Amino acid sequence: MASLFKRRTLGRESSLGVILIFAVAVTGFINPRFVTGDGTRDLLSATAIVALLAIGIAPIMIMRHIDLSIASTVGFSAWLVADTCAKNPSFTWVQCFLVGGALGIVIGILNGLLVAGLRLPSLVVTLGTLYIVRGAVYVVSNSVDYNAQEMPKSLLKIGQTAFFGLMPVPFFLALVLMVIVAWFLKYTKAGRDCYAIGSNPPAADLVGLKVFRRTFIAYIFSGFIAGIAGVFYLMRFAQVDSTAFYGQELAVVAAAVIGGIGLLGGAGTAVGVVIGALLVQTIQGALAALGVDAFWKAAINGLLLIVAIYADRVLARRSEKALLAQRIKERV
Amino acid sequence: MPEKNKFKLRKSWDTAILALLFVVWVLASMTTDNFLSSINVSQIFSNSSEIMIMGFAMIFLIIAGEIDLSIASILALSSAMLGYSYAHGAPIWLAIIIAMAVGTACGFINGFLVTKLGLGSLAVTIGALALYRGIANGILGTNTINEFPEAATSFGFDTIGTTFIPQTLPVIIIFGIFFGLLLHNTPFGRRTLAIGQSPEAARFAGVNVVRHKIIIFTFTGFMSGVAGIIYTFRFSTAQADNGVGLELLVISACLLGGVSIFGGVGTMWGVVAGVMLASSVESWLTLREINAQWRTIVTGILLLISVAAPVLVDKWKRAKAASANKE
Repeated sequence: MASLFKRRTLGRESSLGVILIFAVAVTGFINPRFVTGDGTRDLLSATAIVALLAIGIAPIMIMRHIDLSIASTVGFSAWLVADTCAKNPSFTWVQCFLVGGALGIVIGILNGLLVAGLRLPSLVVTLGTLYIVRGAVYVVSNSVDYNAQEMPKSLLKIGQTAFFGLMPVPFFLALVLMVIVAWFLKYTKAGRDCYAIGSNPPAADLVGLKVFRRTFIAYIFSGFIAGIAGVFYLMRFAQVDSTAFYGQELAVVAAAVIGGIGLLGGAGTAVGVVIGALLVQTIQGALAALGVDAFWKAAINGLLLIVAIYADRVLARRSEKALLAQRIKERV
Repeated sequence: MPEKNKFKLRKSWDTAILALLFVVWVLASMTTDNFLSSINVSQIFSNSSEIMIMGFAMIFLIIAGEIDLSIASILALSSAMLGYSYAHGAPIWLAIIIAMAVGTACGFINGFLVTKLGLGSLAVTIGALALYRGIANGILGTNTINEFPEAATSFGFDTIGTTFIPQTLPVIIIFGIFFGLLLHNTPFGRRTLAIGQSPEAARFAGVNVVRHKIIIFTFTGFMSGVAGIIYTFRFSTAQADNGVGLELLVISACLLGGVSIFGGVGTMWGVVAGVMLASSVESWLTLREINAQWRTIVTGILLLISVAAPVLVDKWKRAKAASANKE
């Protein structure tokens, strides 16, 4: 059983890796710039935010919940950080992360109380907070935009730094987070609990797992990461208005689902999620390289998500069958 | 016994919503000059046209334990197709038929994905939301089409004769009566409720659950297509971002109206009251000249209230029953 579980997840990640390499190779063949140092750096820094957010919602989705409010949180955090920096010119990148993270935690607590505390359906709750948080940005920002000159130089510098000219700092940080979350999910009791809760929520309750605490903390974590991602947004774009990152929650969910986190919970890894984010971004880049109109971007995102959900379903069914066959064999 | 309790709770919820609607109307007419003027009431009805029309179908989906988040995108795609085909020389009646057909096809695709392929409706329709809106975007780009025949646009924003009844209202009433009867007075409606209560039991009782759900998804798509046509004529524009976010308003209106998000419970009257409540609050905010940006927040709060309130009421009742049992 353990080996089967391993085979399924490993199989998922390696097959995704193959698809990713194939996509990069094809795009590089058509547009050689895509595989140069500049092209790689572009791809990685474009992926950083989505990868970070997808790692952030991974524990939630493993527990069979969802957080759609993250894109609004990113927008609010980016605007609020830029606003505080504009009012306090002495601030450096440290304060930026503190402000962004704190805002994210507040929103995470709100979501967590509603979903974990009142046990309301997470989809409807986070759709509601998606609107409330975005509305709050509209009201608070009052149509004020910020540009690079109002932001701390130290922050923008981090955004432009890349190790070996290839690995942008934001993406590197996402990788560090990936390692931490992967370790957490695999080797800690709390991490294993996430899978147990997602596989069978009523059973998790009955055997006495701390469902409330795990869910609540997972929402705070996801909010916190979204707040941090808002600072990453500033690093990358060096400007912000009230519509920043609007509607991008779909890209994050798509990355997570493509990366192997089933929507029925109980499966998936942080590594898979990052590969999923890279794949989504590569496909977007590939379409741009192929000269497909940017207007079709949303349609392709949607189609990708539906295909990923279908593939996930087919794989889940196959492993269910394999499990059943194994059980029958053991009995005989 | 629990069945009966549930029914009672819902019934009181419906009445509570009607009472709340009444309270909003009283407060609104006290705090503004012309809330209950015939023009404004006519506006309230007219502004809720699309939400009402999509709500008539959405209630079936939510009762059956499914959801469709792509309805506003279907609205946009149908509107885009209407504008595109009319601008490319199709007569208006043909353009309208194309728009309805596109809506129906989108709904059928959703139903097929959910039932035949067995994918979760929440996730799939989030994908479909991006897909249909994206296609509308691909078709129209940043173009806006606002040349429509006189008769069509006057259907959108004129009233009947010298009265203040919007021309769209009779259409809505006919649809409302049709779907209300379908839900509450036909085997089809009872099967929908049965599926929502327990899909397994419904299947064993001989309900073809797959076919039933496909039919519901398909007519939800059709109604979204119709809403797209009305939206286009009401604003005399076909563009790709028509009706962004309307799906939330429709869902929150249904939940406000006492339809349970967990399926199996809901009345058409409740939905009508829910839609009226949402659009009355909206109109009140507009008349008070409260910043349009606040409305996004109000939508979110309404959605949260509509999902939290029944759960809280239920908890409170259970706690009361428990303490009564102790005594």
